[in-house]
Amino acid sequence: MPPSATRIELAPNCSLSIAGARWFFASCCVASFGVAGLVASQGFWPVLPFAGLEMLLLGIALKLSLARRHQKQIILISTEVVEIEDRDAAHRASVVFPRHWAQVRIRAGGSPLHPSRLVIESHGRRHEIGSFLNEQERLGLAARLKRLIGRIDESPPLPTLGGQA
Amino acid sequence: MANTAHADHAHDHHDHKPHGLKRWLYATNHKDIGTMYLVFACIMFFGGGAMALVIRAELFQPGLQFVDPSFFNSMTTMHALLMIFGGVMPAWTGLANWMVPMQVGAPDMALPRLNNFSFWLLPFAFTLLLGTLFVPGGAPAGGWTLYPPLVLQGGDSFPFTIFAIHLMGISSILGAINVVVTILNMRAPGMGLLQMPLFCWTWLITAYLLIAVMPVLAGAVTMLLTDHFFGTTFFTASGGGDPVMFQHIFWFFGHPEVYILILPAFGVVSEIIPTFSRKPLFGYESMVYATASIAFLSFIVWAHHMFTVGMPLAGQLFFMLSTMLIAIPTGVKVFNWCATMWKGSISFETPMLFALAFLFLFTIGGFSGLMLAIAPADFQYHDTYFVVAHFHYVLVPGAVFSIMAGVYYWLPKWCGRMYNERLGKAHFWLSVIGVNVLFFPQHFLGLAGMPRRIPDYSTQFADWNMVSSIGAFIFGFSQLLFVAAIWNAVRSGEKAPQRPWEGATGLDWELPTPAPYHSWETPPAANILPKPGH
Repeated sequence: MPPSATRIELAPNCSLSIAGARWFFASCCVASFGVAGLVASQGFWPVLPFAGLEMLLLGIALKLSLARRHQKQIILISTEVVEIEDRDAAHRASVVFPRHWAQVRIRAGGSPLHPSRLVIESHGRRHEIGSFLNEQERLGLAARLKRLIGRIDESPPLPTLGGQA
Repeated sequence: MANTAHADHAHDHHDHKPHGLKRWLYATNHKDIGTMYLVFACIMFFGGGAMALVIRAELFQPGLQFVDPSFFNSMTTMHALLMIFGGVMPAWTGLANWMVPMQVGAPDMALPRLNNFSFWLLPFAFTLLLGTLFVPGGAPAGGWTLYPPLVLQGGDSFPFTIFAIHLMGISSILGAINVVVTILNMRAPGMGLLQMPLFCWTWLITAYLLIAVMPVLAGAVTMLLTDHFFGTTFFTASGGGDPVMFQHIFWFFGHPEVYILILPAFGVVSEIIPTFSRKPLFGYESMVYATASIAFLSFIVWAHHMFTVGMPLAGQLFFMLSTMLIAIPTGVKVFNWCATMWKGSISFETPMLFALAFLFLFTIGGFSGLMLAIAPADFQYHDTYFVVAHFHYVLVPGAVFSIMAGVYYWLPKWCGRMYNERLGKAHFWLSVIGVNVLFFPQHFLGLAGMPRRIPDYSTQFADWNMVSSIGAFIFGFSQLLFVAAIWNAVRSGEKAPQRPWEGATGLDWELPTPAPYHSWETPPAANILPKPGH
């Protein structure tokens, strides 16, 4: 990495292992279906579908939260280029933009609860950053990147003490 | 949602905060949603409190004074539903929203949009429920336990009540799922489960309880609905159903629900007592195991609520003894709190005063619970004011006092300003005097045989009822001081330092004061993480 480069690494918190999640989910299923099964065996079956629905929701929530565990984005800003490296469990891909012509933009998201998409674009190409961040973090990151990358046709000086954090 | 690790820290501070109505309507920030939960709970506390004052005004003296018996019954039912589902539960979820991410070193809750949805279900649920006050036949009047066949004989309010309970249940489940996933998956790198503050632990166990029992409530009220409208006879004796089975199913939900209301209180008190004793919590791990034991036992004690339905002797013995077992882990907790204070350098700021009141008065509620657990004695106490006194001692100086303690404790961190200590102490003393004048005489009334849920009573009960009502008005109006203290702090309180309490430890106190809009975007450094078993 050149001495004046800046590196920003984005990664979600993920303290739960897959095995831990399985154990937790299984214990919830045992408790929930155990109770519901007991009640259903006495003829009061309507408890069962609610237990099933709830476990489905819990499973989805855990899966969504765990799905991000391998996601990582590394943004490397040097005097010449902005390089974005996307990593997940199976893939690693990088996109390079010329820093002088790159610009950071906030584009409208699909719903009021997902209000923005942060992209870096140049020469008709566009790459999304921080899709797993929350809105405030994304806006904060956008402000930071705008300072570092500058507007189109602009290359502000980079902080001199660069390095990996 | 993520750690953003930055190479240069020159411009780290950014506080992008949406403004106006949209900030709250589309809120996904855990602090905003926590604030909304707490404000909502406060409104519900005052609504439920006003209903309690109607009840106590009516019971001030024998005879019918202000309301007719049907409306009186509606007030008892609505008071309970508002306080449990609208007051205490949302207050805990609000505190969890505020504190869990800050305490585990996460930037937000794991599922922020789900968080928004689970909050916004609540206003709709309670609008539906409160709307029943205006439907023909009035609001539900069969008690919060919704026992059939009485509840099936209600007026037009019945389906609205059931739908409202469903919405509250969905909101609770979604909130619990979010807390569980946040605690399990969003902890800062290097933070093990036994490094979490007790508040997170108690909430983790509470969320587990919620997930386990909420489908039971949903199923039970759905069966009531189908019995009423679709010709099923789950609980209708004339069709071969079993009304007593509803009680079993309801209390299988209802007893863990009591612990859902009280376990987070144990967490708050376990944070406050060490802070103001300037000592680490005595027996951290035993506190965790005691909490888990209480949660486990809560699943196997439900029938102590229904000794009088006529159950076999073996059943009575089992439920009596299993209920008494709860005293052991609870005793461990009370011992540990006392041991934490032992030879500590104790100071008595408002949060500590509320925590100490919790310790004494919750223990009184626990002792009367032990009395009620004795099956033959329960035949005498059942459905009397002794039971009312017991569960109010557990829930008001237990759950509500600890919520207030938590608010006073963390308020400086939330808003960056100190509350007025004199106002806080005035609130405390009026509350603690009011609550005892209100509920202690109800033990005497119950032991003398006064039944609960009656608008009129024999003249022999007149004196203690009058005392109790006076206590109710002292307690009720003194809560205005709570609002005043918070308002005063937020508007014009003294600026709070980063660590307003000398003995406070934990990640939440490592953040600047007031806590920034987005906390822990960069993971906390390993050297500020709490030590295991601390």
